[in-house]
Amino acid sequence: MRDYEVVYIFDSAVPESTIAEKLDRFHALVAGDGRGEVTAVDHWGKRQLAYPIRKKPNGYYVVAQFRTAAESLPEFERALKLDEEVLRYLIVLHEGEPTAPMSVATREPRVRDEEEEEE
Amino acid sequence: MTMKRQRKACPLCESGIRVVNYKDDKTLSRFITERGKIMPRRMTGMCARHQRQIGTAVKRARFLALLPFIRGYEG
Repeated sequence: MRDYEVVYIFDSAVPESTIAEKLDRFHALVAGDGRGEVTAVDHWGKRQLAYPIRKKPNGYYVVAQFRTAAESLPEFERALKLDEEVLRYLIVLHEGEPTAPMSVATREPRVRDEEEEEE
Repeated sequence: MTMKRQRKACPLCESGIRVVNYKDDKTLSRFITERGKIMPRRMTGMCARHQRQIGTAVKRARFLALLPFIRGYEG
């Protein structure tokens, strides 16, 4: 069992209810039947992409953390690849520290930024 | 005129960050040029560990369209 983090970028035209359904389906692949558990899901919401992906200027970002056995990843990844409404996804090993997914919308302003501007 | 410049302290060590978060595009954007390139060590003054982490983090952030590969290029 290892800790992973996945970032999904959905087509922003997809309604949120559909996104929630898809997430349930994807997460069942890694967490269903005692294979592991999903520890956090963070919806960033709609966000402008830094460059268009499939000619779309916006995406709906979701960050999730889960713990699962390595064997269940290929199937999970296959489901993501097959889904046309997932513009892009990234699965990485979740290694310590930044535990809370950083939400762009709710993120607190950091104190150290101000400190550095004074220099 | 100074002969040898004092090595600047790593900006990330000083701010207390240990692991660079690739989802934090605001912090990462401080370490890319206006065209979107990753700044070299001589400009960032970062320690090897953090420079390495920034490199990986910027590349991940680019893939996720949080940062541009090239800024100011619109076809």
